[in-house]
Amino acid sequence: MDARLRRVNKEIADCKNDTTSNIKIELVGDTPFHLKGSFPGPEGTPYEGGHFEVDIVIPEQYPFSPVKMKFMTKVYHPNVSSASGAICLDILKDAWSPVLTLKSTLISLQSLLCSPEPNDPQDAEVAKHYTTSKASFEETAAYWTQIYAGGPGKKTSSANSAPVRDEIAMAGLERAHVDQFEALGFERTKVIEVLRRLNYRGANVASISEDKVVEELLR
Amino acid sequence: MDMDNEDFKVPIKEKKKAYEVDFTSLSQTAIEKMMDSELEHIAGIFGVDRDTAALLLRHLQWNKERLIEKYMDNASSVSIDAGISSPSTSTSSPTIPSAPGPSRRTTSRSSTKVLGPSPSTSKQRRTPPPAKKYTPSATSFTCHICFDDSPSLKTRALGCEHTFCLGCWVDYLGSRIRDEQELVIPCMAESCALRAPDSFVRAILVPDAGSPEAKSMTPEEKAAGQKLWERFGELGVRDFVGANKALKYCPYPACTNTVSCPSASTKASLTRIVPIVTCGARGIPQTSQSPSSSSSSPALNPYAAGGGSSDNTTLDTAASKEHVYCFGCPVESDHRPVVCGVARMWLKKCADDSETANWIKSNTKECPICQSTIEKNGGCNHMTCKKCKHEFCWVCMGPWTEHGTQWYSCNRYEEKAGIDARDQQSQSRASLERYLHYYNRWANHEQSSKLSLDLYAKTEKKMESLQSSSALTWIEVQFMRKAVDQAVRCRRTLQWTYAMGYFLENDNMKELFEANQRDLERSVEELSELLEGPVPVDKEGIGVLRQKVTDKTVYVQMRNEVMLEDTANGLVEGRWKWNAPVEGFSYEEDGDVDVLP
Repeated sequence: MDARLRRVNKEIADCKNDTTSNIKIELVGDTPFHLKGSFPGPEGTPYEGGHFEVDIVIPEQYPFSPVKMKFMTKVYHPNVSSASGAICLDILKDAWSPVLTLKSTLISLQSLLCSPEPNDPQDAEVAKHYTTSKASFEETAAYWTQIYAGGPGKKTSSANSAPVRDEIAMAGLERAHVDQFEALGFERTKVIEVLRRLNYRGANVASISEDKVVEELLR
Repeated sequence: MDMDNEDFKVPIKEKKKAYEVDFTSLSQTAIEKMMDSELEHIAGIFGVDRDTAALLLRHLQWNKERLIEKYMDNASSVSIDAGISSPSTSTSSPTIPSAPGPSRRTTSRSSTKVLGPSPSTSKQRRTPPPAKKYTPSATSFTCHICFDDSPSLKTRALGCEHTFCLGCWVDYLGSRIRDEQELVIPCMAESCALRAPDSFVRAILVPDAGSPEAKSMTPEEKAAGQKLWERFGELGVRDFVGANKALKYCPYPACTNTVSCPSASTKASLTRIVPIVTCGARGIPQTSQSPSSSSSSPALNPYAAGGGSSDNTTLDTAASKEHVYCFGCPVESDHRPVVCGVARMWLKKCADDSETANWIKSNTKECPICQSTIEKNGGCNHMTCKKCKHEFCWVCMGPWTEHGTQWYSCNRYEEKAGIDARDQQSQSRASLERYLHYYNRWANHEQSSKLSLDLYAKTEKKMESLQSSSALTWIEVQFMRKAVDQAVRCRRTLQWTYAMGYFLENDNMKELFEANQRDLERSVEELSELLEGPVPVDKEGIGVLRQKVTDKTVYVQMRNEVMLEDTANGLVEGRWKWNAPVEGFSYEEDGDVDVLP
């Protein structure tokens, strides 16, 4: 049997037998080379209570080249692209070692959620948010967990049925700031986009002049 | 590095012209010999084996002085950094008596008894999963990569005792060497920084003929292993060559030769010479390792020798078979007479400007204040520059304020400001036109060089017809081929003289330069015309044509020599003045070029 197939099958079986780690791996199609992994958000973080799904593709050279993983669940995290779910983690690139397994890699992702690395960001805007105001960042991350990952506060199981998505909370902005510029006659979505891009949060608010914001809004 | 060792030198040219540089062509074997002597040296000094010496030298980019200094300072820390010993196993002794790197274990399952330390997991950030023990227990071994536990499994481990099965090692080496082009092969265990020494790699890929491993390999596996090992050797040579400024690897595909050109190893030297070299190999896939002299006779049929080398843009006889390239820059063709810095500037300018320049010229105007290029796509003539907010009239280019009450009737032709603005505009147009002048000629010669492929075919036909219509033999009609070769070579020179001309300061020197350029260009065009012209049918006519072409070829060759000699001498003397700052040249305050002493 093909060594890659044998290894992946064994990894999937191992994961099934392991009841302690809460890590799950499922097949997506007929082949074991496209999988879906999932794990609960780590406790004591804004991701607690969420259920995170990861798209896993096993490359041809596996295990000698790293697995391809990305978040299917939207995550607000400096090292995860908020748009595509792409992950910036050393073991998924040059620090990969053939002895790492799907399970150990998923555990690494889980612990990445515990310890963000804003200095090596995948999503620069989120990273800026994190460094500017950690409290505000955590609020937003928890909100994303609630909306997308079925976190607490909303007991609906499916993320799509979340009734009202608060775009302002999604962007991690203050309602007063958005209202202030909306009152000048700009569209709400535009205001949110610009304020997010300018990182109009926390201590930054004082250093960004209103004129600057308006100038960006007019562009 | 000792470059003067006569063993490695193969002289290519005996007499040297001003536009040629001294260089030696080295085969892969010769470079390996150089590497060997470096390895021996270090191995001798430190009292380590060659594997260890290789890992150390590669770690410090073959900088022997720095290595010796650092090693004497703290041998164990250098060894850890170079992946020779792992932090936990490194002994307290200052020098490592016999490095653990190459101590490879060739054990079959039954004899595997490793009591060694559990793998050192110096954890990196974000690698939280607890590392399992890869050390096989005495009773049963399961490879932690492929999960194979068959009793006949052969295993290997580096000095760190992280043991994996032989099959996984082979696959891993394949992926590192073939897919990632890596010379550095760390242990497969997570966070283990130990690196596989050459002998370890070799024992896995090409086991000794008598060994049980070799017997169990299929011929395909052997061939694949051999190929990987060769590639590994090539990567080693590349690493060595890359670390040495006086060496450059041949950029031609599948060529493994190297050129040594110490005279062009510094940035400053590139302002005085144009180091066009050839690695000595011929043809695209080259197996011969002996660099041959460049003066050997050209093959009669370029297609037979070149193996259908249609990708060649510079198809003169020498270039189609010899690997000609510039030692000093990545431009993969002969860019004489212009120096590397200027050639690069020119190519960059062409890449930036040429495509759009013509369109810009006919469709836009520049803002009179900030020179931003503006396209007017409709609306009134009251223009406001988006960049500097200057308001002006599109028609007269004067400031809008001067239009006073007579809005929209632009009759203020004589306004001073308007004239100034138009002046500036025409200046900027002139500079664009100047560029296009040079660019068009440059591109034209390049195009002509490319068309030389057709010219070769045509010439061949013509030579056949010459043979059939006259009593001339094949050898005697070679004058046509020689003429084409010469024309192509001169066109390439001409091409780059336009790049040079564009950046030359307008002075007497440039006038002389242009006089040379003009003479060369005129004679080349005359020669081309003769070559493209009809072939006479009578014997007399052929005789006349032959005489004319031969004369012209000699003359053109002479003009080309003059051009190249003069520009090369000018570089050495620092005679050329550039009108833009060129990398490597230093400048006095008045903008004059001062060639470094």
